[in-house]
Amino acid sequence: MRPSPQASDTAVTPPAARPRTGDEHPPAPSVLPVPVVQLLGIGKRFGAVRACEDVSLRVQAGEIHGLLGENGAGKSTLMKILLGLVVPDTGRILLHGEPAVITDPSAAAAHGISMVHQHFSLVDRLSVWENVVLGDRGRVDRDRARTLVREVGARYGLEVDPDACVEDLSTGQRQRVEIVKCLRRDPGVLILDEPTSVLTLEESRELFTVLRRVVADEGRAVILISHKLDEIVHATDRVTIMRQGRVVARRATADTDVRSLAREMVGRELSKWTAASAVGALDALIEPGTGEPTGGTALLDVREPAAAPAPDPRPPAGEVRLRISDAHASTLDRRPLLRGLTLEVRAGEILGLAGVEGNGQAALGDLLSSLLPLGTGRVEVCGVPVATGRPGAMHAAGVGIVPEDRHVSGCVLDMSVAENLLLADLSSVTSRGLLSRRRMAARARQLIEEFEIATPSPDTPMRQLSGGNQQKVVLARELAAQPQVLVAAQPTRGLDIGAIEYMTERLHAAARSGIAVLLLSTELGEILTLSHRVAVIHRGAVVGEMDRADVDTERLGLLMGGQAA
Amino acid sequence: MTPTLISEPAPALAVPPADPRRRPRVADLGTPLLYAASLSTALVLAGLLIALVGLSPWDAARAMYDGSLADGAAIGQSIDQAAPLLLVAIGSVIAARAGIFNIGQEGQLLVGASVGAAIALFTPGPGALVLILALLGAAVGGALWAAIAAVLFYWRGVAVVISTLLLIFVANQAVSYAVNSPSLLREKAVAGQVTTSQTDMLAESVWLPRIGEYPDFNIGAGIFIALALAAGTSVVLVRSRLGFRIRMLGLNPKAAHRAGVGAVLIGGGALLASGAFAGLAGGVMLTGSGHRMQDGFADNVGFDGLLVALVARDKPMLAVPVALFFGALRAGGGFLSATGVPRYIVAVVTALLVLATVFPAAYAEVRRRRTAGA
Amino acid sequence: MIDDLAMVLASSVRLTVPLAFAACGEYIAERAGTINISVEAMMLGGAFNAVWGASLTGSASFGLVFGMLAGLVIGFVHAEFSHRLSVNTYVVGLALNALVLGLTSFLLDSVDLTGHQVDALNIPVLSDLPLLGPVLFAHRWPAYLLVGLIPLVWWLVQRSRFGLELRAAGENPQSADVTGIDVRRRRRQSVLLCGVLAGLGGAYLAVGEVGAFNQNMTAGRGFVVIAAVIFGGWTLRGTMAGCLVFGAADAMRLALPALGVHLNSQLLIAAPYLLALLAMMFLAKTHRQPAALGAPFVRGIV
Repeated sequence: MRPSPQASDTAVTPPAARPRTGDEHPPAPSVLPVPVVQLLGIGKRFGAVRACEDVSLRVQAGEIHGLLGENGAGKSTLMKILLGLVVPDTGRILLHGEPAVITDPSAAAAHGISMVHQHFSLVDRLSVWENVVLGDRGRVDRDRARTLVREVGARYGLEVDPDACVEDLSTGQRQRVEIVKCLRRDPGVLILDEPTSVLTLEESRELFTVLRRVVADEGRAVILISHKLDEIVHATDRVTIMRQGRVVARRATADTDVRSLAREMVGRELSKWTAASAVGALDALIEPGTGEPTGGTALLDVREPAAAPAPDPRPPAGEVRLRISDAHASTLDRRPLLRGLTLEVRAGEILGLAGVEGNGQAALGDLLSSLLPLGTGRVEVCGVPVATGRPGAMHAAGVGIVPEDRHVSGCVLDMSVAENLLLADLSSVTSRGLLSRRRMAARARQLIEEFEIATPSPDTPMRQLSGGNQQKVVLARELAAQPQVLVAAQPTRGLDIGAIEYMTERLHAAARSGIAVLLLSTELGEILTLSHRVAVIHRGAVVGEMDRADVDTERLGLLMGGQAA
Repeated sequence: MTPTLISEPAPALAVPPADPRRRPRVADLGTPLLYAASLSTALVLAGLLIALVGLSPWDAARAMYDGSLADGAAIGQSIDQAAPLLLVAIGSVIAARAGIFNIGQEGQLLVGASVGAAIALFTPGPGALVLILALLGAAVGGALWAAIAAVLFYWRGVAVVISTLLLIFVANQAVSYAVNSPSLLREKAVAGQVTTSQTDMLAESVWLPRIGEYPDFNIGAGIFIALALAAGTSVVLVRSRLGFRIRMLGLNPKAAHRAGVGAVLIGGGALLASGAFAGLAGGVMLTGSGHRMQDGFADNVGFDGLLVALVARDKPMLAVPVALFFGALRAGGGFLSATGVPRYIVAVVTALLVLATVFPAAYAEVRRRRTAGA
Repeated sequence: MIDDLAMVLASSVRLTVPLAFAACGEYIAERAGTINISVEAMMLGGAFNAVWGASLTGSASFGLVFGMLAGLVIGFVHAEFSHRLSVNTYVVGLALNALVLGLTSFLLDSVDLTGHQVDALNIPVLSDLPLLGPVLFAHRWPAYLLVGLIPLVWWLVQRSRFGLELRAAGENPQSADVTGIDVRRRRRQSVLLCGVLAGLGGAYLAVGEVGAFNQNMTAGRGFVVIAAVIFGGWTLRGTMAGCLVFGAADAMRLALPALGVHLNSQLLIAAPYLLALLAMMFLAKTHRQPAALGAPFVRGIV
């Protein structure tokens, strides 16, 4: 880690930055008005897991209230309680000072609480207007609904064709629909759950402009759930910070900064800048023209820079392990998934493939899992073409993958940990067609120890492991097969800081051992901290590539948004 | 009345005992009680039905008992009835474990039996050899009939549930055609006798042997074939690499595909295997009891065998007692005519018992979920 | 010649009517996400109960109501098991099919039934038209209910609030749930509707066309109805076309021997099922079924 010689003072505009002038802030009244939403002493357990404990939250009209916390801190559970999707064990909900019982989402809607979900609540096959009126009561009036969509769209700058089928829309447009759907019910409280994970930088800025208008001009309250510090700092008025199911701090955003927020969110000084980036302190990490995130390390008080598993500054020039050339693929009903995707990953390097969600990352992951056959184009591993789509072909060719949807395709939840560790490589524990329980257990124990998997026993069903440990099982299995190429799709999504650090270290170690690592991520911070090279995927094709040292976030953002740079 | 069913431990959905997060055991005590209540309700309903049409449930129960358990001969009857049910059930278990719902065993059984009959009637050679060939042929016939559904599914995406169902009706007519065509299976004309739509009687040399030729107790060899295959299937499913792959495919086809388990090969294979077991069941019925094909040959054994698998929750060894129980019901049903109670009551009881056995597990799961609050 | 054609066509329409009633119901159930194989049980139960009800009340029209009630009860059991207790819908369907077949056979041997048939209604003037008259305007009166029922079902599914929520439940139950729709309730309601309509279909077969009940009288027509929905690509128009095709195949079976055409009778009996299989073979892949078809919904489990 060398100090950056040409550190320039041209600050990169962070994604969520918007100029804020004093007069947009209503002066704090001497007597606080009754909060729109007040949660008092909320507690909720799921079995032995304490999702929320004694959580209290006050949200005023006319403010954007940030709800900050790591994955698993209890933010989503809290909001599900407010939305009537989860029934709390203890605690009270006051709306406008009156006690309220919210039993289901329609009751929440009746109270004026509306939520934009992280993974959307839209029904793909229905049209935009049908989605917008879904959940209402009474007769369906098509013409009125269409007009309404146009009106609300025009008022907030969220134009969308009411007759379009949702499945034809981009993720950004879908979010517009989702917001229109919420806003047209005239909610007092609008909740957004990690709204920017599916948006380009440009779209994120537009979103926050809309939100500011919603609170400033119309006096609504907005709750912004996020684990990204920069977003919280730049978009909110006040912030409540949660950790392990409890509220650990309440701050006025103006009185705090990224560094102290990070400390409060994680509960300790961040010792590794990798972790810092994972929680979204991106603007603190990047300084244009530098290959080293020294600014970030300095900011976050790293005393032992040598411990940080930073990538080598220059990508090692190993041989090409994975080559995908001009890959085209489409769904059964002929929707294009990949449109001429081309990329190469070399031995010993980590190639980060950045992109906004829904631009072909899932298809690429499927391709490298043998789940998707190519229409045209080819995939070569170590120079040998692989039959795409044939069961197990990628695995046999030496491609290991930690898929994005670990639950769905990475493991078999109803099998034991030991069985999951050996899914693909049964030959080592098989003799004459029969599996040796003893050898299976021995191999499993070895991997459990090596990869520090926390499980009561190798025979524990996979379903009972935490997300982080399920991830470890998948990673252990894939690495144990000694792959030529390792693909990691959103490897840290949904994990807590400890698990994120673990994953990052393992990926680095894999690259050091000579494996070609392909990292698919929508989190720019993750890409920038881990990769030697960065490529950008947009609409099923790689639209730009650069060395880590040459990264310019503004250009990256434009590429991810599909604008040629 | 059904100790094997009642004492069965909590459903597979429940958390295994090793888990520290397991709920207090007191709550689980409800499950066996629930099974008892649920099964009793089914039997009471059946009794009420008989009473409602003005007959005596007690007479019916007595007749059922006489026909199924009262003496050695009755027990032998029950066991003979259980053999094909068990075979069909094992096949259903294999398909279900691979995530495929084959419900056309009735048709596969019929086609298998016809192929077996053709071999048994027209193949010259020593009886034992012809018998073995006939049974193998029956299995192949059933597998080929299931293969139609497999091809339709993997090639054209036609749902297996629907295609196997529709193929039952096609099989009925195909077999009826064969049995009615003098050039195919219809019995050979004998001077002075009118032929009917049935095959000739099989030569006694190709009959499945019976063990223990006593007047008061003897059973066909079918049950031994079925038991051996049940045990073998159990070992394959639980212990072998093939079984591991079948289970993986059933539990998570995506992960299986990634790991090199092809749905077409393993899944299609499982579907064919289940057809083969149904066909073999037909072969056993043909060579073991009926000795000729005629109208109503299948007699719902395909469907009832499928129900056995459902009640046994896809465990081959658990299917053994369930098949014996259902076999006893069928054997007992044969004795009902004296009481005036239509023998269809057996079908009613069977179906009610299926609903009664799925209810407690599902109810416990719903309750668990409700307390978990999710 | 014209007469022969008219006879075959008229008989096609007659045999289509019970399928069409049931198919309207199955269409609703499938759009909400249930492959309801107990539609066979609903039709058979409807057929038996209609004859029983007609015997008790002396009125074939009351028989129709009894038939619908039987379908409703079967639908209720199916709905409770599969969309409250989350039991696999095929397991429930199989058990119900076996139960109803056993029960109707049992009762057929145990209770006294008398033959009843609803009245024919020849539409004045129109029924005298050549060809079209006997084909379309000379049927038992409940057949004309379809004229109103089909548009009603279309409106219900495509235009009403209920239909919108139903389709959402069939396409994406998770999204529908967070939007505040009670997915399982909608699915239960759709199965109940299916029960009523399939019961009516079975009842029409018994007291409309045949005038009596025979053991296993529907003989798999319920499964043909499912094939019709698949054939129709989950559109109502296509479903009805499918019913017509399968009804015509059935009519051929009866008509061809009378016309002096001697085809193998087994082939003719198997024809509707073979045709359904062929239709699915050529059409299954080109159609898009409701995305969550056959998948049980449990909140929080994806």
